[in-house]
Amino acid sequence: MMTLCVVAAGIGLAWLALILGALLYKGLAGLSLSVFTGMTPPPGEAGGLLNAIFGSVVMTVIAVIVGTPIGVLAGTYMAEYGRFSKLTTVVRFINDILLSAPSIVIGLFVYELMVRPMGHFSALAGAVALAILVIPVVVRTTEDMLNLVPNALREAGTAIGAPRWVVIKSVAYRAALSGIVTGILLAIARISGETAPLLFTALNNQFWSSNLNAPMASLPVTIFQFALSPYEEWQQLAWTGALVITLTVLALSIVARSLTGRRENG
Amino acid sequence: MLSTELSMPAAIAEKTKIDVKNLNFYYGQSKALKDITLSLRERSVTAFIGPSGCGKSTLLRVFNRIYELYPKQSAEGQVLLDGKNILDRTQDLNLLRTKIGMVFQKPTPFPMSIYENIAFGVRLYEKIGKAEMDVRVEQALKRAALWSEVKDKLNASGLSLSGGQQQRLCIARTVAVKPEVILLDEPASALDPLSTAKIEELIDELQADYTIVIVTHNMQQAARVSKQTAFMYLGELVEFDSTEKIFTSPREKRTQDYITGRFG
Amino acid sequence: MSAAQEALPAVRSSREATVKRFAFTDAVFHALTRAAAILVLVLLGGVAVSLFAGSWQALSTFGFSFLTSESWNPVTEKFGALAPIYGTIVTSAIAIVIAVPIGIGIAIFLTELCPRPLRRPIGMAVELLAGIPSIIYGIWGLFVFAPFLQTTVQPFVIGIFHGVPGLNSLFAGPPYGIGLLTSSLILAIMVLPFITSITKDVFDTVPAVLKESAYGIGCTTWEVTRHVVIPYTRIGIMGGVMLGLGRALGETMAVTFVIGNAHRISVSLFAPATTISATIANEFTEAVGDLYTSSLVALGLILFVITFLILAIARYMLMRIDARTGA
Repeated sequence: MMTLCVVAAGIGLAWLALILGALLYKGLAGLSLSVFTGMTPPPGEAGGLLNAIFGSVVMTVIAVIVGTPIGVLAGTYMAEYGRFSKLTTVVRFINDILLSAPSIVIGLFVYELMVRPMGHFSALAGAVALAILVIPVVVRTTEDMLNLVPNALREAGTAIGAPRWVVIKSVAYRAALSGIVTGILLAIARISGETAPLLFTALNNQFWSSNLNAPMASLPVTIFQFALSPYEEWQQLAWTGALVITLTVLALSIVARSLTGRRENG
Repeated sequence: MLSTELSMPAAIAEKTKIDVKNLNFYYGQSKALKDITLSLRERSVTAFIGPSGCGKSTLLRVFNRIYELYPKQSAEGQVLLDGKNILDRTQDLNLLRTKIGMVFQKPTPFPMSIYENIAFGVRLYEKIGKAEMDVRVEQALKRAALWSEVKDKLNASGLSLSGGQQQRLCIARTVAVKPEVILLDEPASALDPLSTAKIEELIDELQADYTIVIVTHNMQQAARVSKQTAFMYLGELVEFDSTEKIFTSPREKRTQDYITGRFG
Repeated sequence: MSAAQEALPAVRSSREATVKRFAFTDAVFHALTRAAAILVLVLLGGVAVSLFAGSWQALSTFGFSFLTSESWNPVTEKFGALAPIYGTIVTSAIAIVIAVPIGIGIAIFLTELCPRPLRRPIGMAVELLAGIPSIIYGIWGLFVFAPFLQTTVQPFVIGIFHGVPGLNSLFAGPPYGIGLLTSSLILAIMVLPFITSITKDVFDTVPAVLKESAYGIGCTTWEVTRHVVIPYTRIGIMGGVMLGLGRALGETMAVTFVIGNAHRISVSLFAPATTISATIANEFTEAVGDLYTSSLVALGLILFVITFLILAIARYMLMRIDARTGA
């Protein structure tokens, strides 16, 4: 029976290795500088992914700027002011559901919330959809990390006459900093590959655009469109884009994990 | 610098600083302190002793109302600080805690530099310049007998110090905000004998300026550092008298049993 | 010191002013954090309300038959959700059936069998893989996996079961490569790291002393796992499985690439089909007419309700194991 477990582990890991192998093989073939300097091309022509990468970065940055403070504040309530309140239990439960809710549903929500009333797709709507995905990740890690801060430290801050908000800001946040940063990095890792919530919020854009009030290209949506196209150049760009995203996500996750790893060891 | 205090008339030195009257304390439904009444003298060391769970730490935590951090803990009765009831609803807790400092069982340096650990508390209530702050930090560290050990690494993390040094840093931090009362909750129980001796020496010096209350499970320590001792058992104050009396001729049998090691 | 002591009254009065300011800032900060926490509730509530509002037109037009009708015709504007619901449930169910034993197997391997130096790297690799975006699985499925299935596995399987009653219709040709089973397999790979890492976490909650005492009376590794570890962590594993199921049900991109987007219910697992999320992803931006859009939103609502229930059950189970370990 235990042999079966080894076999299971072998199958599972080999399968995953196969996917990464294919990704590397197909993606590296198209990896060149022009991918990062050229615009998404019309069918049959050479080009790059610059506008898509730019769009992804812009929307990710806005999402993080919007989502992080909300997430950190909510997590702060749950671990500090509201640690013993009923509200915290409810929020934790709902947040966990939001954390694993299908992202396409979030896309629909933002479509109803922003795209329909505004009458058009926009980068801003895409960023909001991503922000809604950032929030639960940050809430969860912030609460967890603040809960790891020993109560003795809070008591010490309080005993010196510091009001609660100073204790939170100068003592608890400082003690939990690397953990909270990890949460934010994991949130970025999560949204940088998200496609579904962008499909009908930010839509896509064949051209360079920095207008937040207009449709904007993003790496995942471009990959989706190009991969399903019949043109070989587009398919190649899709593979390369997929490789770029995967490497970004892996790098973010590794940095995030090494941050907390160091904390545990130190 | 202690000359003014040392020449003070005995009558002032015997003034009551904290007056506890009919204090009851509850964790939820369970009663942890039962009708405690006692007076603590100004600029003197009072020790609370008793077996674990007797309520000595609980009583200490009432004095700065640190228990308010947690739900379902409540106190009733009176605790008068210079005649004013600190259990009063209108009492500002932060203000109370600037007057009554506390040092905990485990050293709790803040996650910041040694200098900042001390400046942090001072800066909260006083707007002072860098030069003056430097003086305050130095004073506090000297007061806690730590200055010579850390003066060359004030920017190092407070967490880089040894356990004994960390505890003295916590004392320095408490002294720096100029409280009137210092509460010590088993301040040496996590330390080695050498560090413990240093802390005790420090307590002895600090009583010239501060009213000190120390909770300890170590009876020898109570005998060494305190002028007065309260023996508590099961949430009750069994006996409260001069330390000498408690350790040589206690009135109560329970006190005698405890100090002679028959239980606890 | 004495100078400082003399200055005390002045310090005291300025402290009074400071504490007032502190109390105000504290109240503001408290209110701000509370508002953020409530916003989390509002978000989920907002999702529910907006989906309901958006799907109202479709639901009021088709009523209950929206759930039972298989027809999905943009031309005649007759929409029913049965095919996508069927596709969603079948692909997820098959994915879970495949991924759970493998995932638990890997978790057992990692906690009980794996040589110590390899535990961390392999465990970490599994967690990293859980974070790979689903579109990667989709593109691999479309370009590598589906053609492989189409040319080798599917013709072979169709050949084997050709004459077997029952199974021959379950594995009926032609081999498209894409379809229900391909989607299920991709989903299985996707949720595998997920189930593995949660199962591993709950295995780690088993007190060492419990395992040691079982080893102490001469149990083999398998007996300890079978009779101590798994019973002890049953609820946690179930929670992890449900969480994986929730993920599989809502997974969009990996499936959209390989499902085939066909609005019909076929017995054959090799046939193209569709799921709720794939339908929305494929058709939403091209949907013409309010009723069409509303029907797609209604699909989203159904998905939301299903996943909400599954995830709520999953969280409830995981909360119970957390409560037990005091975590």
